[in-house]
Amino acid sequence: MVRKLRKSLVWYAFVAPTFILYALFVAYPTFETFRLSLFQEVATRQQFVGSLHYIRLLGNQVFLAALLNTAFLGIIFLMIIVPFSLVMASLLNNLHVWPNLFKAIYFLPQITSTVAVALVFSYVFQPNWGLVNGLLRELGVDPLPLWLAEPRYVLTGSRATVTILAVWVALGYYMLIFQAGLQAVPSELYDAAVVDGAGPLQTWWLITIPSLRPTFIFLFITGTIDAMSRFSDLWMLGGPAGTPARSLQTIVMYVYQTAFESSDFNLASAAAVILFIVVLILTLFNFRSFLQREFSSQSGA
Amino acid sequence: MASTENISTARPMTTLRGLLSSQRNFRRLQQAIIFIVMAIGAVAMIAPFEWMLATSFSRSANIAMPRIPTFWPSDPSTFNYKVAITNLPLARYYLNSLVVTVASTLGYLFFSSLTGYAFAKGRFVGKSVLFIILLTTLMIPFEIRMIPMYLLMRQLHLNDTYAALILPFISGGFGTFLMRQYISAIPDELIDAARVDGASEFTIYARVILPLCGPALAALTVLSALWRWNDTLWPLLVISDRNLFTVTFGLAMASRSQGIFTGVALATSAIAILPIMILYLFLQRYIIRGIMLTGLKG
Repeated sequence: MVRKLRKSLVWYAFVAPTFILYALFVAYPTFETFRLSLFQEVATRQQFVGSLHYIRLLGNQVFLAALLNTAFLGIIFLMIIVPFSLVMASLLNNLHVWPNLFKAIYFLPQITSTVAVALVFSYVFQPNWGLVNGLLRELGVDPLPLWLAEPRYVLTGSRATVTILAVWVALGYYMLIFQAGLQAVPSELYDAAVVDGAGPLQTWWLITIPSLRPTFIFLFITGTIDAMSRFSDLWMLGGPAGTPARSLQTIVMYVYQTAFESSDFNLASAAAVILFIVVLILTLFNFRSFLQREFSSQSGA
Repeated sequence: MASTENISTARPMTTLRGLLSSQRNFRRLQQAIIFIVMAIGAVAMIAPFEWMLATSFSRSANIAMPRIPTFWPSDPSTFNYKVAITNLPLARYYLNSLVVTVASTLGYLFFSSLTGYAFAKGRFVGKSVLFIILLTTLMIPFEIRMIPMYLLMRQLHLNDTYAALILPFISGGFGTFLMRQYISAIPDELIDAARVDGASEFTIYARVILPLCGPALAALTVLSALWRWNDTLWPLLVISDRNLFTVTFGLAMASRSQGIFTGVALATSAIAILPIMILYLFLQRYIIRGIMLTGLKG
């Protein structure tokens, strides 16, 4: 037994650094976020207040607006990027001329920092002399759209602009993941479709898309988590309040603003916990629907 | 045209040939259409960067922007770059980014692979439980932990140090998970042979395992470097000393506080973006392969 433990020791030494960091920067902060959310600072002392912050948050218009806004921006983004990148990846997969060059170009915004890209976009969409409005003016469009200065829910408003930005940035990454998925579709399936006399579009719709289900699930899970924790680009464009008129504020921005501008770490922690729960539910929901369908298709076969 | 002629002659062989050639034409047309669609997309990808460059070299961009966007400066000058370099200690920012990125990436590679090796090939009590605990990291986004992490850094007096930017990121659940998966596929015979020769576990890790992990380590390097180089939220919390700003964070702070002079702002962006782009030109094959291997993005 002692010998066994001694032999184990070296392995514990190998995992120890990672677990010390895990304890310091994952386990402890996660528990501490939960704990802080149940306390209130009264004269520099932490006092237990139970669900007070949660009740405050659920009646707080700013928080609810940020929560809804995050979900809205995330849903619109995923609804556009997933079909769009699938079509582009399928096209690129059939292109024999310079496919790797295109792949590299489409991936370019992804390696550029979010901050720099957002900064460039704030000028690209500047209403008076920006690239987009300059081109639109050449085409005779009048009046010119306000883009980032328009907080309403319109197709040329701030939310639309940041969605264009997000799609532009993420397109190359989503295409890459779809291409990896496309290359994993067994070629026998395509051979069988050709034998059955299916055209290319039919094959794509009936063979390719159903075979990509794991890819869809992966992109929906990671895409949801990314969308729910969106911060840098919107912070760059609208500050922590998501200017104009909080149309760009997300939950993480609300957490940041509450903790580091209003110095209310307890309320901010409660908001972070709600974010955590939302992310967890969405991930489990995505995962479950995946597992369920996997299971039913297996039992059906 | 050719195919209709062939059909009109009505000889079976020529009809077949006509059909084939029209199919080839169809394929050519298809390729051309796909190429045009992809090229339009590529222009949309590059145009903002090109416009940024053109404007950054235009001296008048600070006074009055041309109402018609130009992709070539009408009054080329490096004025904006000179102002950008005197305004901000960009060389210092680059040094900071380099220190932070290299140090945390080296740490990430070392600890992820060391722990990954233990989980892949080691035998010890509680292995599977510990591994599952570690995997929970993947479910807990950084944004949820950031407030206590900031408070911890403050307590440890690490705010405004390189350590604050490096320490939390020198190991991680994802890296360990990836390395474990990769190392699991390495045959045990190789390890056993080294053990018979009396090598210690660390020697086996360093001499046998690591040299076989090239693709996985390359992928982790790409991810870690992109994460650290481009991070803004964490520096925003723990760094207020301007001498410790990274390129990305410095650019963000500068444009948020003084984003008036368009030409200068765009020159600053260009200085922040271009070196990375040039690096990407050389490494794009590895970067794209790394992203495809892990499925994660920067």
